[in-house]
Parts: sequence; C-alpha cells; structure tokens
Amino acid sequence: MNPHMNLANHTSPVLSGEVHNGTPSWIGTFQAMASDCQILIEGATKQHAHNLLTLATKEAWRIEQKYSRYRDDNIMTKINTPNGCDLEVDFETSALLNFAEQCYQLSDGLYDITIGTLRRVWNFDGSDQVPTSLQVQEVLQDVGWQRIQWASPRLILPQNMELDFGGFGKEYAVDKVTQILKMACRGLGEISLLVNFGGDLACSGPRLNGQAWKIAVESSKKEHAVAAYVQLSQGAIATSGDARRYLLKDNIRYSHILNPKTGQSVIDAPRAVSVAGSSCMQAGMISTLALLQGKNAESFLKAQDIQHWIQD
Amino acid sequence: MQLVKQKNGNTNQADQSEDKQLMTHKFKKITPALAAASCSLLGAGDTLAKDETGTWNFDVAALLYAESDDRVQAAEPVFNATKTYDDGEILNFKVVFDTLTGASPNGATPSDQAQVFTQPSGKGSFTTATNERPIDDTFQDTRAAISANWSAPINRDWAYSTGAYGSKEYDYLSLGINGAVKRYLNQKNTELSVGLSFSADTLEPEGGHPLGLSEMPHKSSSAFDTEFAASREGSSDTKTIIDAVFGVTQVISRNTIMQFNYGISLSDGYLNDPFKILSVIDDTAGANFGGNLKNTAATAENIYLYEARPDSRMKHSFYWQTKYALNNGDVIDGSYRFMLDDWGINSHTLDFRYRWALGESYLEPHLRYYMQSEADFYKPFVSSTEYNAGAPTFKEASSDERLSEMDAITVGLKYGWKFADDQEVNMRVEYYLQSHTGDNGFGKLSQQDLYPDSQAVIFQIGYSF
Repeated sequence: MNPHMNLANHTSPVLSGEVHNGTPSWIGTFQAMASDCQILIEGATKQHAHNLLTLATKEAWRIEQKYSRYRDDNIMTKINTPNGCDLEVDFETSALLNFAEQCYQLSDGLYDITIGTLRRVWNFDGSDQVPTSLQVQEVLQDVGWQRIQWASPRLILPQNMELDFGGFGKEYAVDKVTQILKMACRGLGEISLLVNFGGDLACSGPRLNGQAWKIAVESSKKEHAVAAYVQLSQGAIATSGDARRYLLKDNIRYSHILNPKTGQSVIDAPRAVSVAGSSCMQAGMISTLALLQGKNAESFLKAQDIQHWIQD
Repeated sequence: MQLVKQKNGNTNQADQSEDKQLMTHKFKKITPALAAASCSLLGAGDTLAKDETGTWNFDVAALLYAESDDRVQAAEPVFNATKTYDDGEILNFKVVFDTLTGASPNGATPSDQAQVFTQPSGKGSFTTATNERPIDDTFQDTRAAISANWSAPINRDWAYSTGAYGSKEYDYLSLGINGAVKRYLNQKNTELSVGLSFSADTLEPEGGHPLGLSEMPHKSSSAFDTEFAASREGSSDTKTIIDAVFGVTQVISRNTIMQFNYGISLSDGYLNDPFKILSVIDDTAGANFGGNLKNTAATAENIYLYEARPDSRMKHSFYWQTKYALNNGDVIDGSYRFMLDDWGINSHTLDFRYRWALGESYLEPHLRYYMQSEADFYKPFVSSTEYNAGAPTFKEASSDERLSEMDAITVGLKYGWKFADDQEVNMRVEYYLQSHTGDNGFGKLSQQDLYPDSQAVIFQIGYSF
C-alpha cells in the first residue's frame, strides 16, 4: 500500500477468509469516509483478493481525500474559499458537478449541493442546539444552485457560497470501487463481489452459487438490530436516515436532512429509507429525495416505481 | 414547487383531496433519469482513467468498396493513433493505404459499333463491344497518405491546431498544411473557429497531360507517335487548393449542440482529368445520324476529344449540423450542406444518423441524400456541328459523370460493440445508388443508355483500443 494515499491516517485494510463448499470467500475491511467499509469477494485466490482489496482501499481513500470538506489540500479547498472561486475543474469533478446539476433539476431544486453553508448553523451532534430562524435566514442567502455559474469545465462560485459533495460522495465511492473491481476481475476467473460502505452497497451480480446476496438492514431505532433482510442479486442499495445524526428538542427530532429552500431540517420524514437501484448513486439520490419530501416520502417512493423499504 | 406541509395529522377531507391532487402532479418519476445521470457520471470516470495516463489510443479499420458491374474495387486499411495529454493537447497521426483496381468510364458514349480507344499512356489500345459503356480497365492505383495533427489550448478562451498532410500515388503527389484558431465565448457554450489550409498537388500521368480538346490519336495511324506527342502539353502539372472555413458551434441546451460553417475553396492550375475523353457525334442527317463522327484517315477511326476544364474553381459551402442527445443515451445527428461553385454546380446534401444505444453496443442507421446540378461545360458528347471540323465552338467541355446533373442516396447501418472498457469493434455496411440525367442525344445515340445508374457497396470493419 502506498503510504501517501493514506493521508487520513486510517488503519491498514484487513483481509480474512475461508474456503466454504469449495468456494474461497474473503472479507476485506477498512475505514473510509467515517464508515466501516467491507469488500466481500467470492471465487478469488488469496493473492487476487488481496490485490482487489488494495485497489478498493486506494480508490476509496483517493475519493475521500479529493472531496473531503475537512482537508485543506484538495479541490474542495480551492472551490470553497471565502472569496468564491473561478476555476476550471478536472474531468471527474466536472462529471460530479453535472450529476449534481441534474439532481437539482430533477428534484425541482430540492436537492442542492450548495447547502454547505447551512452546516455552519446546523450541527447534528444529538444535542438540542436548534438554530434560530434568524440564524438560518442569514446563511440561507448563500444557498442556491441557481446562483453559481457552471459550464463545464468552468465553475464560478460567488463569495461565501460552499459546495458539499457529501450528499452522494459515499455512494459515488461505492459505485466507483465496484466498477474498478469488476474491471480488475477480468481474466481472473469467476469472481463475485459485494462492496459495502457503511450500509450503502453495490454488487457485481449474484453470488457464485447463483443466489442473491442477503443484506441485513440495520434498525434505525436500535443499534445492531435488524429491521429487514433484503435480497440483492444486481445493482445497489442505499439508505438515508438519521440513525445517529439528529437534534432533539421539545420532543421534536430534527433530522440531518436539510431543505435547501427553507434552510430547515426535515422533521416529519421517516427515520430511514432504503432503496434498491441500478447504481448506488441512483438509489442514494432517491432515498435522500424521499426524506426531503417529509411526510410525503412514501407517495414519492411509490411514484418512483422502485424497490424500497421505509422505517418510521 | 412547494412542499405541502401539515403541522399535525388532523386534516379535513378537503385538505386531503387537495393534498392528493398535488401529489399526483408533484411526484414525477425520476428514477430512469437518475439512472442515466449516474451512468454517464461513472462512464465519464472511465474516460478520465484512460486520458489521465496519457496513453495512446488506436483505431484500425479496413474498408472494402465495390462498385456494381465489377467496376472500381477498393481496399483501404486505415491506421489512426491519438495521444491526449493531461493539459488538453492532442497529437494525432493517421495513415491510409488505398488499393484501387477495376475499371472506370472514360467518358465516351456507347455505340452500335465496336469502339477502339488508345490507352491514356499511349502504350496500347482497347476495344469496347457494341452497345457497351466504354470503360478503361487499365485503371489501377495504390495510394499512401499520412497526416499529423496537433491541437492545444492557448489559454482558457483560445485554442489552436495545426497539421500537415502528404499523399502519394504512382502519378500523383499531394502535400498540404493547415491551421486553425478557436475562440470560446459564453463559458465555452459558444465556439468560433477560423481554419485555413493549403495544398499543392503534382500530377504526372504516364504518357503526359493531354492537350485540352485535342483529338485522341489512334494506334492504327502510321503517324501515331507524332500525333501522340502533338496531343500532349507536358509531362507534369500542378494545382493548388486554398480552403478557408469559418465556423460557429453553439451549445443550445444540455442535450443539443448546433454547428454552422461557411467554407470557401479556391483551386487553381491543372484541373482536368487526363483520363477522360468526349465522343463526337454526327448530327448531319443521313445513315450515320447519331453515330460517331469518323476522321478522314484511311482507317476512318472515330473522333474523340480530350476534355478541357477551366483552370480555376471557386466553391462556397454552407453547412449546418445539429446533434441531439436523448435522455436514454440515443443520439440524433442531422446535417444539411449547400454548395455552389463558379462551374455552375450547386448541390444539396442531407444527412441523418440515429445512434441507438443498446447497453454495451449500439446500432446506427444512416441515410444520406445528395443532389447536384450539372456544370456549365458538362457535355455527355460533342455534336459534329460543335466540333466544327476540328475548330470547336467551345473552350471547355467534360463528359465526366461527376459533373452531370445527378442525385445519390446512401443507406447504411453501423454496429459497434464496446466489449471492454476501452476497446470497441465496429462494422459498417452501406449501399450507394447514384443516378444521372441529361441530354439523351439524337438518332442512333438516343438508343443508347447514356446515364446508367451506379451502385456501390461499402463494408468497413474497425477496432479501437
């Protein structure tokens, strides 16, 4: 492992495994994006599994390092300066911005990566520190995708505005890692993969025995309790919810999902929504948008004609 | 759009029905659009990985071209290499080899008599049977062409490109240079470009250049060598071509891009086809009305004249293209070109392609329609009156069917399969039908088909890696 890639000082990835019914099965674990990351590999030799885990770790750390808002040496620092920015972004960032713009348009402005500044007044630490509406109004002035100028590859951000890819960063990493691993598996024989970053996951296809992967969805109310078992034989599953990130005041639970139009936390949404989709990014976006609909989450999900699980 | 907020669960009937109504309007299905958006994002990542390493990308293709009636057949391997650098510079090399074999019409009309023609080189002769279209089957050529191009950004708003080109055939050498400057406006939604190119061609046909409108000597003549030498105006000649193109490309929306070009092209020098001749047709009433006019030699051979074209040509072309990407990944590409020149030709070209995305592969039907008017000096034949006993009443004439009034249709289908991350194989089949119209002649000549349709089939197979 290239030590320079591990700038967040994560512990090294760990590979463990066994041969089960003649099929070698491996579990690689590592830390990235404040999540426990898991790669399940079936059918690979130990050496190949080790190489695949190394690839996955590198890619996850690369994305984390590039798009984290908590570093001072990446593209986000260049974008989120107090004086705004006017720069030409690289190809990958450009593609992410295009995706963000499409999400903004498809959601009629309900999903907006410019909500970065709202995090200054909303701090979801489990406390009762709900910001006043005056505080919210003040920072809301610096929110709104329509206020930035984006024409690939040039990005112009006015003063005080901030972008935050956090809303789909982990889902993007899951899809990228899955894509890279699938490519790396070519020519290595029959291998089946599942990539799981803290509950957002994608697979390369069914398991080698032809059965679906069995996914346990963790309860949003009780840690380590299983809310549902889900079968996954293709595509991805993503979950959005406020399991551990919320504020509680006067018996109202303020979820960490913020409405970019009002600057307010969504308070009447289900605790968590899981969605199965063709990619983790798609599934994640649908589940996030469902929560943003508040109490209408279920109607929204029904209209999407996509497999989903709601936890109230 | 505003969310319907309700402070508590107690809502009355009216509110609920309003809520429902809003709901059906509000929740459009965005699942497919989001799937496409994430798909294109992850696809973009692939391109990134490919370009970031600064590796070469290669295309190889082989093209087979066959005209009906065993006429021209061409095999054309193409090799293309492109290197993209991290800062947007692009270097491209292309090598093409052509092998053309078969036969090409020499411009004479068919006749109810067998016709004897002298080969353009003067080294022999060939005979065309009665009622057959005269075809020169000595036509064979191999061409090698190589080009190199370099394009690079100057700064955020400007870019340039430059290139050189050379091609060599047995009797033809073409050398060219080109350059272009681009200016981006409106955050790169608008692109203005100016391009200039210059090429100098040298033609050295075997046997030299025929003198325009001189008579084709016959091998049967005892003074053939003298007559052949007298019909030549030199062994080598040149032409120069200067092209300028002014273009505007405009991004109309996320899905639509439109391009408009105006081009001007000026050719100067030797523009004749040294292999083309015209029949002289007898228009005096009598037994030979509409037959070939014969010379006064003892062997009484048919009279044919070498063609003569103006020594300059100025073309103007207007080109408009629109590409539209559908949300499902399909692409519609339509274009129209209008061209006119001072030879009196104007042409219209309509081209339509639909790229139908099928997961890792795609199908692309192609339809193209072309029509042109004839050149001022186009003559399918020369009448004996115009021939005027060897003192022609005109200065320029050509029976080249490419200068006649014609229309052409191309129907094609391309299939591409991206079987690995950066590898693609593709196949293209096209059918081409060209039909001409013009003066049908008189007397015996009107019994002949002067404008047979031409058909061709093109098959191409390519591999990109």
